[in-house]
Amino acid sequence: MTPNASVTEIATTATAETEKAAAEALRRSVSSQFGRSLHIRTLDTGSCAACEQEIRLLAAPHYDLHRLGFFFTPAPRHADLLLVTGPMLRAFGVAARKTYEAMPGPKLVVATGACALGGVYQPDAFSYGSVDQLLPVDVWIPGCPPSPLGLLQGLLVAVDRLAERVSVLSFVAGSES
Amino acid sequence: MPQWFVRGLRRGVVTTRYPDHADASASVLPSPPAFRPEELTGQIADSLVQICPSWALTRAGDVLVFDAGACTACGQCRESEPRAVTTSREFGLAATDRSALVKRIPLLGEAGQ
Repeated sequence: MTPNASVTEIATTATAETEKAAAEALRRSVSSQFGRSLHIRTLDTGSCAACEQEIRLLAAPHYDLHRLGFFFTPAPRHADLLLVTGPMLRAFGVAARKTYEAMPGPKLVVATGACALGGVYQPDAFSYGSVDQLLPVDVWIPGCPPSPLGLLQGLLVAVDRLAERVSVLSFVAGSES
Repeated sequence: MPQWFVRGLRRGVVTTRYPDHADASASVLPSPPAFRPEELTGQIADSLVQICPSWALTRAGDVLVFDAGACTACGQCRESEPRAVTTSREFGLAATDRSALVKRIPLLGEAGQ
């Protein structure tokens, strides 16, 4: 199925399992570990830049994510959370993996937008089709692009300050308010 | 800003909580579809599966499987079957489990058996 299977295997080794467990523990204890402050590195793996546009708006006065204790950082070595957009192009696979490995642990990965969740592109010769083919994803934010409020909710779900509510939604008209 | 500083010194916490009111522009933004199972027949479901450009809809017997994670809220399903599909107006869709985004919509329409 995937031509470059050796890279995909890295994400499914025992190391990936411990990484996943550490990330889950971080999600539960992020308030005490980081004093409600978290640094985000955004990673564009071939998105159309609509997600980046919405992410940029998070820092604008209307949404102002800094008041919630989130900050963007240009260096993965300073980042606690990797905000990944795009369908994970194969040409970007090594760079994405290196970015993830450069981050100090414990760390979180948030897949952002329909491409990153496997909606728009199928796996083919050019893209893995979704972020979880390569990186262990902790939180999924749907949307094309997700609205800034949706992104904020996703980030707060990632640090366990809000409970996720999509699992109780049925997408049947009239059943939810 | 000075109030923030003073409040931060007083409480020891300088950050605030999630917005306590809904986004005013939410009602006009595109949002994923919501389905009316009683209007959905097998025929309509098959046509919706054909229409969806992002593989968000698949059919499994008498169930329409909707992947909210793959949905781009393009609105093509709503335009083609306005009686069976409406908008959900849902935006806070973040999930900690990918499978929580996959929803099963029963086909309760007359020809759906």
